[in-house]
Formats: sequence, structure tokens, C-alpha cells
Amino acid sequence: MLVLTRRANQSIVIGDNVVVTVLEVRGDQVRLGIRAPRSVSVHREEVFRELAEANRAAASPASGSLDSLLALRPPGGKPRM
Amino acid sequence: MTVEPEPGMPELVFDAGLPGFGDAHRFALVRVGGDDSPFSVLRSLEDEGLEFVVVPPAVFFPDYEPEIADDVAESLGLHSADDALLLVIVTLADPIAASTANLLGPVVVNRHTRSAAQVILDPGRYQTRQPLVSR
Repeated sequence: MLVLTRRANQSIVIGDNVVVTVLEVRGDQVRLGIRAPRSVSVHREEVFRELAEANRAAASPASGSLDSLLALRPPGGKPRM
Repeated sequence: MTVEPEPGMPELVFDAGLPGFGDAHRFALVRVGGDDSPFSVLRSLEDEGLEFVVVPPAVFFPDYEPEIADDVAESLGLHSADDALLLVIVTLADPIAASTANLLGPVVVNRHTRSAAQVILDPGRYQTRQPLVSR
């Protein structure tokens, strides 16, 4: 891991297109601003990992189970769109 | 080998892919189960076999009204709520009635441009595995 020390209003550049700026340091919290192109997602790490795990679990269900799902109806009967 | 969408089937573009699938950008949205079914499949056009079952959240979660952050709305070119189509990814379970929807990470689509992203909301408020139906 590369370790750098920054003060408020200093920045870090990652690759050619990602800039992370320390906006404010207050107590034990650091406020960061991130500039990145649309092709790069930026998320808090713990939520990103949770979401990646959920996506992997949901990906490519077996076709048989999809057929069973289609028989599931929302509460109240006919689905509303 | 790539999968091409059928003519007329909307293609969605996820500039940043999806968490866990960062290289998957182009998807076809395919209705499944006939006219009566609220479900669709988000089918990768680049990675054969990769697909997700999705459903508009209002069908099973009528009170679900997530706030989309300004920076997300801006990057998707959304000017109003009407520009957006909301979908949630379903994780199928066994038994099928235990299937869940990911309310923490809804998919937001710009209806006009087909630009899409999976947004991450507040984990204190939403879950990745919210049961579709209560027992």
C-alpha cells in the first residue's frame, strides 16, 4: 500500500483521471472530494464490498429457478407497474 | 462470443459497470414471464451467460422511495424523477418464496438516454436482501 500524508486542501492523483482532495479534517473524520470519470465508480469501501457480494450472489440464476419466480405474486395479487 | 440484443430491445449502458462486475457495461433489458409478469432480466451483451433478474421496486415495495443523490442524478443526466426508471436486482432463493431484492443498491436508468448505474444508498436504512414477500 502506498502511504501519503496530506493536509486539508491537498490532493492525490491516481492514474491520469482520478483526483482525491482532502477537503476538511475534523477530529477523527476526514472529508474527501473525489473527481473521477464516469467509467470509474467511487464508493465507500465497506458498502461497495457488500454490494459486490450481493451482485455476485444474484448473478446468473439457474433458468429453472427463474421459472419458479415468475409464479411469485406481490402482496395484493396482480402486479402493479 | 457476444450476445446481440433483438431489434427494438432497449440496451442499457452502465459506464462504471456494476460493483463486482466492473467490466460489464452493456446490457439488454428483456421482459420475462409474459405480459402479466413484472420481472425482467438484465442480460450482459459482452459476457455471455451473465444476467440479473430485476423488477421495478414499486411492485413489491410500494413505500420504497429512495432519494437519488444530486451527483448521481447529474452524471446520469436526470433532470426530474420522471426521467428515471428504477429497478432492483433480485436474488433467487430456495424455496423461491424466500427470494430477496437488493434495496441498498437499486439500478437507476435514464429512460431517454438509457444511461444506467447501480447506486449505493444508506446501509443503515436499506438492505441488500429484502424479502419480496413476507411469510
